[in-house]
Amino acid sequence: MIHAEGLTKHYGTKTAVDAISFTVKPGLVTGFLGPNGAGKSTTMRMIVGLDRPTAGSVTVNGKPYAEHRSPLTEVGALLDAKAIHTGRSAYNHLLAMGATHGIGKSRVNDVIGLTGLETVAGKRVGGFSLGMGQRLGIAAALLGDPATLILDEPVNGLDPEGVIWVRNLARHLAGEGRTIFLSSHLMSEMALTADHLIVLGRGKIIADAPVSEILAASTRTSVRVRTPQVDRLTELLRGPDTTITTAELGLLTVTGLTAPVIGDAAARAGIVLHELTPVAASLEEAYMELTQDDIEYHTEAPPGVNTTTNTSTQEVAR
Amino acid sequence: MNATTTTTRTYEYRLTGAGIIRSEFIKLRTVRSTVWLYASMVVTSVGIAALVATASGNTSDSPILPLTAATIGTSLGQLVAAVLGVLVVSGEYATGMIRSTISAVPKRLPALGAKMLVLFVTTFVVGLVSTFGALFAALPILGSQGVEADYSDGTLVGSLMLAALYLALVSVFSLGLGTLLRNSAAGIAVALGTILLLPTIMQIISALTQAQWALDLFPYLFSNAGMGMYLPGTGSAGLDQWQSTLIVLAWVAAPVIAGAVLLKRRDA
Repeated sequence: MIHAEGLTKHYGTKTAVDAISFTVKPGLVTGFLGPNGAGKSTTMRMIVGLDRPTAGSVTVNGKPYAEHRSPLTEVGALLDAKAIHTGRSAYNHLLAMGATHGIGKSRVNDVIGLTGLETVAGKRVGGFSLGMGQRLGIAAALLGDPATLILDEPVNGLDPEGVIWVRNLARHLAGEGRTIFLSSHLMSEMALTADHLIVLGRGKIIADAPVSEILAASTRTSVRVRTPQVDRLTELLRGPDTTITTAELGLLTVTGLTAPVIGDAAARAGIVLHELTPVAASLEEAYMELTQDDIEYHTEAPPGVNTTTNTSTQEVAR
Repeated sequence: MNATTTTTRTYEYRLTGAGIIRSEFIKLRTVRSTVWLYASMVVTSVGIAALVATASGNTSDSPILPLTAATIGTSLGQLVAAVLGVLVVSGEYATGMIRSTISAVPKRLPALGAKMLVLFVTTFVVGLVSTFGALFAALPILGSQGVEADYSDGTLVGSLMLAALYLALVSVFSLGLGTLLRNSAAGIAVALGTILLLPTIMQIISALTQAQWALDLFPYLFSNAGMGMYLPGTGSAGLDQWQSTLIVLAWVAAPVIAGAVLLKRRDA
């Protein structure tokens, strides 16, 4: 359980995180999304006390992270895959980390096995690939068998097998009732892994809802239209809230209008349609829509998911 | 693959002071630079002692004293201790390891304290090996020149222990600088500048301006006070060994306290 209340971080005059409040619940995989610079990593660093909040507070399992008697069993965090001395072997890194909490060799060997690092554990970390460094970071996060796991971009640099492994691990640990909080820039990955999403844009929360709800709230459902009379139909459908793109000859993708509206309009104008298919938005599109609105209206308070259904006229420009 | 994580709360782990100290000792001994630097400290100290003992018999009528032979390597050893002290913490900043360290010990100061303790004790022990190793390397050579070690008043043994203590304090001083500056190059530059350049600068000032105050300050400079610790009488200004020790301690306290305050305050 992670609970943030009015959490704020300024760097000089720049506001990285702007008075955000949220709760990450146990038993779920909570995804943390946002464009680069949205404040995701800063927020995660404040959770484990690396950065001091300018205002507000954040607690883990009811207490600030630093107040816990055994921090590593409360929270395991992978914040930066490079948070490891390059001159030390993976095994010794884990041994040194664990020693602070009385975590011994057997648990170190456990997490090495768990993360598939057996063959490289004795090698110095400086020679590790990005993927191996990531696995070692995850191994370190798992050392204390923590109740809460925080992973910043965990699949970064992992091969496809590793990506699936992280996904299964996250789901498995959430299934045990642990709190799993992970950030990723891969929306498709989030759709497969997360139950709940917190979307951050410009330091503010712009959505905090179950994945299914965020998908449903998206207005970017589009309609695929196939017609031999592309020019006439395009002319007919053109409007301030409508976007029409052409992927191939005779095939249009229309957003801003529903399939019945397009069908009726075409029938009245006598335009032949060969296909008329509504296409549900992907999470990626829903996310783009959310963050785009945030950038557009970033001076307003973050109202949540509902107001984002108001699409803008800017879409014509797309 | 998942077998070990299915058991929730089976482990009883707790953050303890002893654990943090053990962790810092593992960190110190599992980086190659530590081993090499400590080895070079011992080798140069013993080697130089043997060298000067041999040379003194050949060149002068008054052979070198056992204490001088045993501690002459300390002036080089202090540079090694300085580099090591900076690297122990600046290496963590350079690689990002500091974030792992602080995640495990979020109150931060216990980690710094453990680092200092481990570095101090290890450097002191290696310093003892260096100085006593140097003494035992020099004695047979000096013995052939008719010079015997005088253990009667404890000055010799006490001074060698003070030399080791000085090396340990130099490493802690530099660790403080590393914590303060968070950068290897800057930390080493300031540490070596304090040890090597400061006395030279004061000498130049006094030579150019005939300023008495520059000469008066001389025994109070870090490395000069250090020499006053293990070579009684060299501190001039009539400072006793214990007085020189206090001066060195004051030098050590400054960057350590400033580093500790900033470590606690700054974002990692």
